[in-house]
Amino acid sequence: MMEERSVIHSSFVVERSYPQPPERVFAAFAQPARKRRWYAEGDHEIQEFEMEFRVGGGERLRYRFKEGHPIAGSEISNESTYQDIAAESRILMTSKMSLNGKPIVVMLATFEFLPAETGTELILTHQGAYLEWPDGPRMIETGWQDLLDRMAHELAN
Amino acid sequence: MKRPAIDIDRLFRALGDPTRRAILDRLSERPQSVSGLAAPLGITVTAVAQHLQILEESGLVQTEKVGRVRTCRIEPAGFTALERWIGEHRTVWERRLDRLGNVLAEDDDVK
Repeated sequence: MMEERSVIHSSFVVERSYPQPPERVFAAFAQPARKRRWYAEGDHEIQEFEMEFRVGGGERLRYRFKEGHPIAGSEISNESTYQDIAAESRILMTSKMSLNGKPIVVMLATFEFLPAETGTELILTHQGAYLEWPDGPRMIETGWQDLLDRMAHELAN
Repeated sequence: MKRPAIDIDRLFRALGDPTRRAILDRLSERPQSVSGLAAPLGITVTAVAQHLQILEESGLVQTEKVGRVRTCRIEPAGFTALERWIGEHRTVWERRLDRLGNVLAEDDDVK
């Protein structure tokens, strides 16, 4: 009997250029107070953010969706481990993301800080194993119709 | 306008079978009849029909019977939802790295 897989693998790369030198950009990852401002903050309520910036050290981010969100009150938890750190040049982390305690993604994230003529080129390479999504389609419904409309518009041009 | 529901669990189960993925590959070239799908895959028309039912229920494929021929085509809605779900993660990171740019710029101003 054929066993059906319930995991999908997906990778993506995101690149950004910043005018600041690599040491500054790296510091924004290495110092908890700095990292919190861009990584933990968002359109949600932070429940917990702790990190130990060393190889083998852990990082935990927990947040709750606010009222008005399709799954308001639900909690996302990210448990991460720093696997490799090369000062001012590379950070490698493994992470497990859970929704209300149920694992939904397990991922590997590599951050590279490359010196560039005008500052730093940051490359995030993200590789994830996406497990079955609990709570069904509610997360996806929002903006789904807009996305379809946008796709139709792009296809028409 | 009522939005059709997309069941993500169903989507993943639909995609978890290699024969169904092969069917989607063939349909992405052009719409096909059920019998047209069976022969190259080396499986029976009944088996194809069963796979197509799962694909149709998960919103990935649309089938239509005209006369005695059932024609199948890719339904964009299912792929959009799946891409959206995986893409959501990328969006989260894009927003974070945008915020990082703002934080770095704010710290520049403080100096």
